[in-house]
Amino acid sequence: MTAFGTPQHPQDNERPERLFSGVTRRQFIIGAAGVALAGGLGGCGSSSPSTSNTPTSTGTPKRGGNFRLGVTGGGSKDIFDGQNIITKPDQARLVSAFETLLTFDDNYQLTNDGLAESVTADTPTQYTIKLHKGIEFQNGKTLTADDVIYSLQRIGTQKNGLTGFAATASMDIAGLKKLDQYTVRLPLKTADSTVPQTLASYTFGIVPVGYKAYPAPQFGTGAYKLKSFSPGQESISERNPNYWRTGEPYFDTVTITDFADATAQVNALLGGQIDAMTDLPPSQVQVVKSHQMNALISKTGGWVPLCMAIDMPPFTDNRVRQAMRLIVDRNAMIGQIASGYGFVANDLYSPFDEGYDHALPQRTQDIAQAKSLLKSAGQEGLTVDLHTTNGASGMVELATVFASQAKAAGVTVNVKNDPNYYGSAYLHLAFSVDFWGTRGYLNQVQQGSLPTSPYNETHWPPKSGTGSNFASLYSQALAATDASKRIELEHEMQKLEYDEGGYIIPFFGDLIDGYSPKVQGLKPSKGTLNLEGFGHGYRSIWLA
Amino acid sequence: MTATEEAPAQAEGLGTPTPPVRSTMLLARAMRLWRTRIGALLVLILVVIAIVGPYVAPHSPTDFVAVPNSPPGGKAGLLGSDYLGQDVLSRFLYGGRGILVMAFVSTAIGLIFGVGIGLVAAYARNALDDVLMRAMDVIMAFPQIMLALVAVSLLGAHAWLIIVAIALTTAPRVARVARGAAQPVVERDFVEATESMGVSRIRIITGELFPNILGPMMVEASLRLTYSIGVIAALAFLGLSPDPNGANWGTMIQQNEIALSTQPWGALAPIIAIALLTMGTGLIGDGIARTAAGIDRERGDE
Amino acid sequence: MAWLRHGGIAAFIVRRLLLGVFVLFLVSVLVFVATQALGDPARAILGRNATPASLAALRKHLHLDQSLIGQYVTWAGGFLHGDFGTSLAAQEPVSKLLGSRVVNSAVLVLFASIVSIPLSIAIGSWAALRREKTFDTVSSNLMLVLASLPEFVVAVLLVILFATTVLHVLPAISPLSIGQRPWQVPKELILPVATLVIAVAPYVARIMRASMVEVLESDYVEMARLKGLPERTVLVRHALPNAIGPVFQVIAINLAYLAGGIVLVEFVFNYSGIGSALQDAVVNHDLPVVQALAMLIAGVYVVLNLLADVATILVTPRLRTRL
Repeated sequence: MTAFGTPQHPQDNERPERLFSGVTRRQFIIGAAGVALAGGLGGCGSSSPSTSNTPTSTGTPKRGGNFRLGVTGGGSKDIFDGQNIITKPDQARLVSAFETLLTFDDNYQLTNDGLAESVTADTPTQYTIKLHKGIEFQNGKTLTADDVIYSLQRIGTQKNGLTGFAATASMDIAGLKKLDQYTVRLPLKTADSTVPQTLASYTFGIVPVGYKAYPAPQFGTGAYKLKSFSPGQESISERNPNYWRTGEPYFDTVTITDFADATAQVNALLGGQIDAMTDLPPSQVQVVKSHQMNALISKTGGWVPLCMAIDMPPFTDNRVRQAMRLIVDRNAMIGQIASGYGFVANDLYSPFDEGYDHALPQRTQDIAQAKSLLKSAGQEGLTVDLHTTNGASGMVELATVFASQAKAAGVTVNVKNDPNYYGSAYLHLAFSVDFWGTRGYLNQVQQGSLPTSPYNETHWPPKSGTGSNFASLYSQALAATDASKRIELEHEMQKLEYDEGGYIIPFFGDLIDGYSPKVQGLKPSKGTLNLEGFGHGYRSIWLA
Repeated sequence: MTATEEAPAQAEGLGTPTPPVRSTMLLARAMRLWRTRIGALLVLILVVIAIVGPYVAPHSPTDFVAVPNSPPGGKAGLLGSDYLGQDVLSRFLYGGRGILVMAFVSTAIGLIFGVGIGLVAAYARNALDDVLMRAMDVIMAFPQIMLALVAVSLLGAHAWLIIVAIALTTAPRVARVARGAAQPVVERDFVEATESMGVSRIRIITGELFPNILGPMMVEASLRLTYSIGVIAALAFLGLSPDPNGANWGTMIQQNEIALSTQPWGALAPIIAIALLTMGTGLIGDGIARTAAGIDRERGDE
Repeated sequence: MAWLRHGGIAAFIVRRLLLGVFVLFLVSVLVFVATQALGDPARAILGRNATPASLAALRKHLHLDQSLIGQYVTWAGGFLHGDFGTSLAAQEPVSKLLGSRVVNSAVLVLFASIVSIPLSIAIGSWAALRREKTFDTVSSNLMLVLASLPEFVVAVLLVILFATTVLHVLPAISPLSIGQRPWQVPKELILPVATLVIAVAPYVARIMRASMVEVLESDYVEMARLKGLPERTVLVRHALPNAIGPVFQVIAINLAYLAGGIVLVEFVFNYSGIGSALQDAVVNHDLPVVQALAMLIAGVYVVLNLLADVATILVTPRLRTRL
């Protein structure tokens, strides 16, 4: 339902990375210092570069064909960079040519199915990365430790303006050291148990030494090699004949086309002009199915919050924030906005994190209580502007449905749909809608809920009073080597956000994509990227 | 919303403009034509829907009534529910007012400025004429939808901005027609006679010239209204309307077009409404134009 | 100067040409001033990464450190040399960005013209000859109805009818592959072209009909008939040339309209042309692209009007003699 003339995507270079680069933190990885990551990865062991461990769903994979994918949200800002994205089609393109050291499986668990044989935490502040041997880039150059060092340094250099920069804060980029041809030592400035997750996020693609973004030639280790690319229009990639995983990939070519809106996308899918599309509007699932097409419904931890800036009126008063949270009828929203495809949230993020506090009471609509809170705050009959944009599926809908529900509490919400939302006003608005992808709790806090966070819409935490110790709790949690201690700290942080925070998180909406029955091998995934991480870089899917 | 809009204006220096006719007589005679009557009836019905609709709508346009895209019947009401589970009938009944008000206001402003500029230019017959008409040329070089699109995308979809953009692009087209129609009048003897009697210029323009171009201006007004409705609906269709979830026929088409195969009414009802409305104004304009041409022919026969 | 005033057709064309250049100059000033009002492009490009030093460097690069008049001269001078600047969003020359899109849109307009002009002239003439008969009544009413429909409504209706809901015979969208030219996928062009034809043909047909009616009633057609010329000759040699004059103006205006108005058609059909480029550019505040497109569309308007003026004069016998 994106509209013409409005941004199909966030406009800030850095923004999308934090939105999509999901990084769920699995604490057992670091455990005590010295535990090898590879050993902790539940049976993935150190697979040699031979076969993929991605299970296929039905039938035997078939070779050949041109896979045509339609993606909304692109434009002339589209780029092709192994470590950077601006628009949504950029994500779809990046994963076709570039791969990461570690990967997430469909349950969002870390696996070492990537370019690294192992990533080991030697001490809380030092990791060792061991590469698979014999992997070649698409131009025939062998993948070595130098490429890893170059890749991480490219991301960690601020002036490069890459999306992953913020996540390298704890890494001592200058101290990266080549131990041998296939081994790299990664020292940290501060203890950070989330490093493996960071290395598995898709914007940490490994690029060859000296790499430059398009229009320079693009050679990754991935399954498809870029043949032609026209920003805002289309890209065509060819199978990498020299791909390191045996048997994969299956398509001859992958064509990724930019679409202006979901209507054209659905029409193209139903008319057989594309084989798959991203972000099928929830209300269209039945329509697509009635045309003998499939919908891939993935339960993810992606969220679209209403953001109240806690230091801007009228939200400086916590009673107003609480009232707004009590106005929301969460189940009605799931029915209305997501056609039932989603699950209720409790104004907290990272539902798949083991540190997520399920014990906090579920907040439900309570108009009477909301009214009385507003009255005691002297804000009866409150009128506020709510800023939103067609940035991600459901952002405008959430704002309008909230405005409709708020009327019951006597609150007038004026929805402002701003095409230039992610311009200069972004992060300076009292009341706005935003969107985020799945990630682990501490990664998410680092991105959006600290004074140093690049994208802190709610201006959390408060400078004084309840909640002002939030940042110090975060540092303690990050450095905690004992899982139960860390979870205890995380619960303490979530309690603060639950009681005093500025987010209204009504529900976690499912990620829904449409595809033709000709496309085989797709399975739901908890990851942030569409279509099961675009078929794990277009290698685990094929055309029947 | 096409440009032949400028059709009457094209004949600068070529054909003859529609001759002066008293407006009441013209209207009365135009109403004798079936096409004018049908047009007037269509416009009347839709204006009534737009004005009365909000008072008779069963729900608020933003109330949740049934599962999204429910077909008509039961809780979903006569026309079913839309992509957000809102009542299509209620949104349809609310959805005309905004478009009509904005179209009428912007067209009226465009007409006032256009007629004013056209008359002054025709009357001046000197450098001022050239300056005004070249300025109009410059504005006319930008297609209406493009100018509105650029303005609204950059400054936001404010109602006033849409009105200004449409009025600004309407005025020069009107001005050219007004000037073309007024020129032959200016050249007639009685204007010179009035001038020599010491009547002020403003009086001559408003009292003598203006009544004489009412006929073509009525045709022009209905044409311009047709295009204004089209442009406003088109902007809403592109997602550029003052209220993103406002009940607005153009917005409704954009929001529900995708569901056409399962729940067509969400998009079809507003499509039909806009089509009938623009057809209605088009028919009225054509009726008046034909009548004026008919009167012209009669005079020629005299 | 005297030649310009009394120099016949050549002088007339030169006069129109000068006027066209003057209007284009005014248009360029307007585009320049209007886009200046949109704020600092350097800040828009750098966004939140802006530092005073990077802002200053970029301003210098974009010539924003010059005076307003200096900036205008640099900008307009670049245009004259075929340098349309660099897209802020895509970071590549505007000419490269828009090149194939201009071709794609031009093809759309061209096909629409090739279909709609002969069609509408034929319909209009035939209706004039059969005045008040069935064909005239049916066609003029149909034309009236079609002319009134906003073109996005037409586009959506065509998609419903032929692609998605009623029939499934034509593709619903018309995306172009890289390097693919529109004429290589004729099937995908049918619906967009049909939409444009429906947007244009009714007007041209109506004007053609009116013009033809007038000419058929004129003295010289009567004279020709009295001279005993065959009706066919009367129509083709005498009536048509005189009737078609005013129609050129309408065709020109309609083509100019299409150059800007294909925005909606390109949106509905996901077609890669200047309409979608304009949408993208305004959303991204990509000023060089907006400026280039505005100048392009305005230029098309001026040139087409000029051509129409000249064509009218050349084709209409009674006007030619007047010069």
